[in-house]
Parts: sequence; structure tokens; C-alpha cells
Amino acid sequence: MLKTLSKWRYQYVPDHIVGEILQKQWMENAVTALVLIVTVMFFNYNVSNFSSLSNITDTLREASELGFVVLGMSVVLIVGGIDLSVGSMFAITNLIVLYCVQVLALPIPLAIAVTLIVGASLGAVNGVLIGYLRMRAFLTTMVTLIIYRAIADLLSYQWAVLISSSMSTSDIWDFIGSGTIFAIPSVAWAFAIIGIAGHIFLTRLRAGWHVMAVGGSRRSSYNLGLRVNRVVAVSYCASGVFTAISAVFYAARLGSPGADTGRGMEIIVLTAAILGGVRLGGGKGSVMKVVLGTLIVFLITNGLLRLAVPAGASRVILASILFLAATIDIRWYKNRHKAIQEFYVSPSYLELPPIPTTAADPASPYALNDKLRQVEVIGLGMVESPEDVILDEVDNLYCGSRHGEIIRFFAPDYQRMEVYAHIGGQPLGLSFDAEQNLYVCVGGMGLYRVTRDRQVEKMTDETNRSMFSIIDDSRLKLADDLDIAPDGRIFFSEATIRYEMHEWPTDALEGRGNGRIICYDPRNKVTTTVLRNLIFPNGIALASDRQSILFAESWACSIKRYWFDGPKRGKVESVIASLPGYPDNINRASDGNYWVALLGMRSPAFDLAMRKPGFRRRMSKQLPGDEWLYPNINTGCILKINEKGNILDALWDLGGVNHPMITSMREHRGYLYIGGISNNRIGRYKLNGADPNFVVSAGRHG
Amino acid sequence: MANPISRLKMVIFGGRDERLSIPIMDGALKPNNVIEEAPVFALRPGLEDISVSPDGELYAACGDGVYRVLPDGTFAERAKYDRDVTALAVLADGALAVALGNAVVIDTAHAGRQIIERCDGRKLTAVNALHATPNGSLLITDGSATRPYPQWSNDLLEKGRSGRLLEYQMATRRTTTLAAGLSYAFGAFADSQGRILVSETWRHQISIVSGKTRQPAFSGLPGYPARFAPADGGGFWLSVFACRTQLVEFVLCEDDYRREMMRIVDPRYWVAPAMSSGHDFLEPLQGGGVKQMGILKPWAPPRSYGLVIRFGSDFIPRYSLHSRVGGKNHGIVAVAQRGDDLYVLSKGAGRILKVVLPQVREGLEL
Repeated sequence: MLKTLSKWRYQYVPDHIVGEILQKQWMENAVTALVLIVTVMFFNYNVSNFSSLSNITDTLREASELGFVVLGMSVVLIVGGIDLSVGSMFAITNLIVLYCVQVLALPIPLAIAVTLIVGASLGAVNGVLIGYLRMRAFLTTMVTLIIYRAIADLLSYQWAVLISSSMSTSDIWDFIGSGTIFAIPSVAWAFAIIGIAGHIFLTRLRAGWHVMAVGGSRRSSYNLGLRVNRVVAVSYCASGVFTAISAVFYAARLGSPGADTGRGMEIIVLTAAILGGVRLGGGKGSVMKVVLGTLIVFLITNGLLRLAVPAGASRVILASILFLAATIDIRWYKNRHKAIQEFYVSPSYLELPPIPTTAADPASPYALNDKLRQVEVIGLGMVESPEDVILDEVDNLYCGSRHGEIIRFFAPDYQRMEVYAHIGGQPLGLSFDAEQNLYVCVGGMGLYRVTRDRQVEKMTDETNRSMFSIIDDSRLKLADDLDIAPDGRIFFSEATIRYEMHEWPTDALEGRGNGRIICYDPRNKVTTTVLRNLIFPNGIALASDRQSILFAESWACSIKRYWFDGPKRGKVESVIASLPGYPDNINRASDGNYWVALLGMRSPAFDLAMRKPGFRRRMSKQLPGDEWLYPNINTGCILKINEKGNILDALWDLGGVNHPMITSMREHRGYLYIGGISNNRIGRYKLNGADPNFVVSAGRHG
Repeated sequence: MANPISRLKMVIFGGRDERLSIPIMDGALKPNNVIEEAPVFALRPGLEDISVSPDGELYAACGDGVYRVLPDGTFAERAKYDRDVTALAVLADGALAVALGNAVVIDTAHAGRQIIERCDGRKLTAVNALHATPNGSLLITDGSATRPYPQWSNDLLEKGRSGRLLEYQMATRRTTTLAAGLSYAFGAFADSQGRILVSETWRHQISIVSGKTRQPAFSGLPGYPARFAPADGGGFWLSVFACRTQLVEFVLCEDDYRREMMRIVDPRYWVAPAMSSGHDFLEPLQGGGVKQMGILKPWAPPRSYGLVIRFGSDFIPRYSLHSRVGGKNHGIVAVAQRGDDLYVLSKGAGRILKVVLPQVREGLEL
């Protein structure tokens, strides 16, 4: 009873979603958004008419003004610097715009332009000093803070009376200061527009990527050829411009040349940026983070004011928040990948039928023997990880290697080898089409082909994205084996969408249906997923009716058949439900049957572990990968099967001397060529009584 | 996880159980392949224990008999019993003391056959080591009260704690319990200063027993200690029949999996240490044990291992002899030193190996 419940719990509760959601980029903002909601609720409860329309309008207005400065500061933070002079720049630009509008009575657009230019110049001073002269950001902007403050004081002394005594009667000016459109203040609209533009800039435009790159790794950006100095300088300029924009709105709203404008603003701005999640060290930040941080900080400072908390206390609270935010930010940034890893592996319940006996009993079809002891070895020590092997019409042997290459061994003695093509990744399944182009599934890259004149061409590396998958499964992570249908369509397996090529053992531990079978049509270059939720689909072979494919599901130890054409189109039937090991590649034999490679053998301890998901999850968290219980991939064998699922023959290398691990075999002119992904050799086994003219080629057999 | 507080800490802060850590093999325990490369002195299936008699003959317990091993490696029968011999000791006067699982039989020269089957009201169950002390008594270790000797693996996975150390006085024919509640006692020794040592296998330590108390003499072994043997020049040899792995430690913490594994899986294929491994693909495999490019790395997590440690009389290891992962001579349950030669009994391979000590010391630069 408990067992059935446990089985249902693991089959139907999708706890792999937790890990997948956590590793999404937008998850980081979720925490901040939560903090914002809590803040809003707190102040809503404690402060009267917090959610009245007028209060919201005022909040939006002031928060947007603050938001501009935070945006500028964030750009500088993203680039890896810091700008402490924003408060002073704010003061100067405030005075400038007031002077231009009130005293000089310039047209508003001109006044704003002048102010922005002044802001840019102030920022440029920082930019030149820090970007080009390579001075320290903290110290430099602190010095400019003092100098600009002094300038602001001087200007204020000279102009304050003039400004206060003039009256401006401009409608535009009033609109900028206190106008609304659909009850949303003008400054909020401006911030929204500029914010969206900024988001597009940072995430979609090349210049924005340069900013993120310089902040992420200055040395690498320099090596890439980016103009690091210019990017840094321009970002300080941008900080000045954004501060100036904010000052324009502030001036329009208050019209006050006060002496204390912008004093202490840098602390609030820094707090807002860091609280939102913009990293102090650079390289990470977004407009959404700015918005969230600004809102939270503004609500807190304003709310504390409304609650009549004394100014000193409110500053202490703000400083503590800054401290807390900075500490948590660093901790989270360093440990995020660990937390994700902890949650990502979600083992599921996989119950397999009992292990078929392999004892050396003549009655058992899988009986152990050492037929593969007499295997000839090709390329010993010269080729590494030949997962699949194939031969062409003139008997040359091709195989993949873990260096991303297709290696060719020359007939008839296979002593001489050369690199036929270099693709990258780990080439896995191989197949020739009717024109003798070599199609390769490359693990980590996708479906490629090597033409007769050795050109490498990418066929496809993406497929249609499923609607409800959290992981972006439009990319191909582990294309495994393929076969070609009579009309040229290519059916290939993608073993898992949750793990990369080098992490495949973790997929073994999960035992989930993470894989799929995909069809690529070279006629219209369309890739579609035809079957989903398969448990590590591996080998694919076109069946004799040429309307269906046999495919292996490795961790499910089974072979199934899928019809892609004909009356049974779309159906999936089981061919063999329970093998004693994990099937890998399937290829055609000369007598109409099929060869299946078992890349490993089932063991009772591991089979039991597959029924204990909690055990596997704890094991994956507490033990290093070297210590995990693994499927036994040190021993493999080759089976010959027919479409009805009968086992016709079994070939073993009992001592594991020559071929401990087998992932693939190919019959060619009376010999069986054997490959293994953990081996450094290819085997050649003479098949007695096999058709000496049998050649696998797309023309005749598929 | 026993401690609820540490469990809570684990849930909140993550991290791993401290009990999963294993001491590394370094310093005096730095791995070599001396045992693997040593020449085979004698081989016979069913070897269980060896001992050197006071007159310099090498005796071996094999199957249900005790044999003298001749210099050419052949076996000459000395005595035969009705059950398998599980331990062997030769007393000062040349008398033979053997353990037959649940009984100890001593064939003395002048006082006939003495049989010991119980002590302090409890029957012997799994006698696995005998040691003749210099002052005429016989130390007996009874590994477990619940599992007979061949089922030591069951006792490990059941976290057995019923081992005893007994002392039998030849003169008075009385047996006393020196220590009880041991986590599988598998070897006893009385050193030149009269201190009595016992190896507590499941706790990976050797302890000194004095009166009613016992203290660890050396704890934190990276493996499971078995029998002792005296060493020339003071100190002793300790054989370690298998090494620890984090996976086994983990399985010991996982009650549900462990119980079901013991219930439905053949004991040969349990996640537990073994005397030998690599025979069958049904044995469990750990990630580090996967062969890459045809090579099994010697530092892979060991399902079986061969280890003998030479301790000084101060209970500090001086050097050690190993047979690493992938080797044949694993499951060292007993050693015996005769002059410059050390005879090492590998139960996993069914062989006695001869290690020439001066060469070894020179090779290890001691």
C-alpha cells in the first residue's frame, strides 16, 4: 500500500519542476518581488490612506524621479564601477535647469537640452578619469562628489535668490512637474518609456551586451576586442545624463534651489540598486531589478516618514537594509549554482521487471560466453571514444572520437587512419544516405552531415519548443543515434533534455522520461519532435517494413517500435519489454534481423535503487559523483534480435579483456565492427555464415 | 541520521552528514602495490588463517583442516575437524588451538582436548580470532552474538554491536569476558608490555582493554581491521580486510534501502565491502569504478582491497602494504612474520603471498 502510494507520488507529482524553475534567469527577481509585496502590505496596513489614488500618484512620481538616478547608478554598477557623485550632480543640474527656465526664460526643450549636456559633461569627467585614466572609481567619484557639491553650493549662493524671485508660467513646465496622463504622472510615463528602451538595450542590443560583458569580465572583454575604456567612460556619462533627467523632473515639481538638494542621495540610490539585485561587482543587473529596488526603498523611506519615525532611526534602518542586501546578494551569487544543483536532480520511480537470467545456461537466450574473445582490434590507442562505427561502399571504416572528429581507417587492413572531418562535440550515431553523405548525431551540438568532399554542414540543432516545458527544449543537448527513412526524412533520438552530454550519468540516476525522438525533413528543412517523454532514447533503426523505426530506451531496458507512416502511423508498440542490460545502438543485420548493443548490465542493487527515489536524491546530494551507485557500464554485450522480440544470439567478452564496454556494432561484409564510448579501440569480429556482400547503405536497406 | 539537531541543520543549511567522511590514505598509509606484486607462496581454496608456531613452522587453517605449509608451498595435514576452521593459534608448547565457528578446540600436549563453547552464560557464535598470550592464556574474539562467522556482511549492515573479547586460562580452564558490546571484534593481541588490544571492526579502530574499560589505541582507520600478528622488533601487524567507501557509509544511514536490499538481493551483490570483487557484473559499481579507455583507476572506490599496516609499539603506523583496486590479492585477514619474510593471507584470492621485508622497506625508503 505504502509502496503504491510512493509509486504514485513519484510518477504524478512533478518535482522536477522546482529545480527547473529555480535555474531560470527571472527567478532572481521573484525574491525581490516578494519583498516588495511584503513591504506594500506592511505599509498599507500601518499607514492611513496608503492606497488612495492621490497617494499612489505621488508615490509613482517621486519613485520615478529616484528611479532615473538608480538607473544611471545601475549602469555604472553593471560596468563594474560605482558613482558616488550622483547626489552632487543632481544638485548642479537642478540649479542649471531652474536657472535656464526661471531666470534665462529659455524655451523648455532648450533648457532641458542644456541640462542634459551639463549632466553628460559632469558624468564625462568621471568617465574620463575612471575609464581612460584608469583611476579608482570609489575614490574618484568621492572626490567629484565633494567638488560638485562645492560647485553646487557656489551656484546656489549666486542664483538662489534669482531663481526664487522669478516666476515661470510655462504649461509644459507645469505638465512636466505635476501633469498626469490617465492618472499616471508624466515622469512615470517617461521612466516607463526609457526603462523599456533601457531593457531592450541591455538585453537585445549589441552595445548593451558590451556593457554586460565589460562588467562581467573586464579582462575577457579586452581580449575579445571590446573598447573597454570607452564603454566605462560612456556609462559614467549615462549616469550623469540620467541624473540630469531626474533633476529636470524634480525641478519642475518643486522649483526649489535648496542648498540641501541631493545630499545623501547616493546612499539611498546605492541601497535601491543593490536591494533590487544589481551586483556590486559588476556584470549583473537589469531594468526590472532597478524598478523593484527603487520601489522598495522608496516605499520604506517614505513610509517611515509617514509613520513619523525620527530621521536618524530611518537612516539607520536604511543602512541596515543596505548591509543586509549586500551580504545576502554576495552569498546568493556565490552559492546559487549549488542551490540549483541541490534541487535540480529529481529522481523518479522506475520499476523494471526482474532481471532476465544471463547465467551460462544453454536454455537462456542471454547465456554468457566469450565469443568476443577472438575479436581483432583496430586502432588500439589511436582513437578514443568511437561510439559508433560505419563502413562505406569501398570498405573504409568511419568512427567518431571524443576530440570531435570523424576518423577514417583505410581498407583492407585498417592500419592507416586519418582525420576525415572535424566537427566538435562528441560524434555519436552515424549513417550514410543514398548519396553517401555521412550523417552524424553530435552530442552537445545536434545533427550534422559530412558531404562526400568532406565539408561539414549543420542540418539542425533545434526543434519546436514544447508549450509546457519550463526548460527551453528547443535546443538539442544530446543527439544520440539516427536512421534515414526511405523518403529521406531523418529520425534521431535526443537522449535527454535535462542534462548536458557530460552529465548523462545524472540522467541515469533520475530515470525520468527526459528524452524524445525528433524528425528532420531535409526537403523543407523542418525539425519536429515526434515522440516525447522517453527514458533515454538511444539507438534507432529503420524496420524492415520501412514504415517504422525500432528504438531503444536505455534506462528502461526496453526496445519499442514507432510507426511514422502507413496504416499504423503514430503507434508505439513494445518489442522487448525487459532486457538484462541497457540497450544502446540498434543496427540492421544481414539476415533481416537486428543487432543491439547493451552498453551496460543491470545489477540488483542499482535496480533496487531505481525504486527508491528518495535514496537516490540523498545520494546525489551527499556523495560526490565518483561514489554514486552507477549502472554497470564496465560490461556490455551484443544481442541479435528480430522484430517479434526474440533473442537469437548473444555475444559476450566475458573477461572484459578486449571489449569491456560496447555501445555500437555494424555488420559489413561478413564481419561485425564494434565500438564503445569508453574504449580506445574498435573491434572486428568474424560472423560465421553471414552474407559476405552485405553492406549497410541508404540505397538498399533504408 | 541519529542526532535530530544535526538532521535539522542539514535540512536548513544543506551539506552532508559528517559520518560519510572517510580518512584518506596518506603518510604511512600511502598506497603501493607490494601485496599485489608479491610472489604467491601457496594457494589453496578455503584459506582462513595462518600462524607461525614457536618452532618456526608456518601453519594454515584451510577448510576443515589445519596444515603445515612447507617451504615449497605444499600443504601437509596436521589436524582435521568436523567443521570449517575459522581461526588458528599455536600455543607456546606447540599445542594447536582452533576455532570452529561456535566453539574453540585446544589439543594440548598433556591435558587432552579442551573445548570451549560458552562464556558467562552466552554461547559462542562467531569466533574469528585466537591469540596465545606470553603468560599462558588464550585470547578469543567472538565477533557477533547474532550472526555466524560467514555472515559477517549481515552483521555490518545490521550495525551489530555484540562482539566480545574473552580470555581463556589454560591452567584453570576458565573463560572470562574482557570486553563486551564491541562492534564486531575480529582480532586480539597482547603486546610485550602486557597490554591487550582488540580490533573493533565496524568502528574502524583498535582499542586497548584494561580491566573493564577500553580506550581507542588508533581510530579513524580507512578500512575494517581484522587480525593481529606479532612483529619482530616490537609493535605488531594489523591486517585490514577491506576499505571503507562513502557509499557503504551512506547505505548504513539509509534504513529503508538497506533493509530491502538485505531482504531481496543476493548477499554477494550487496552494497557492502567484499573479500574480492570484479567477478560478476551483478556486483554494484560506483562512478569512480567505470573503466575509461580500458583503464580502471587504482584510486577508484574499492569494493575490495588488500591492506596490511605495520604498527609500532606506540600504536603509530610505520608503513603499510597494499593491493590496490583492480588487483587480485584482496581480503587480507591474517599475516604471519617469520624472520625477514611476511606471509600474507589473501582470503579473496585464496593464496598466501610472501613479502620480503628488507626489500619492501628499501623500496619504501624507510
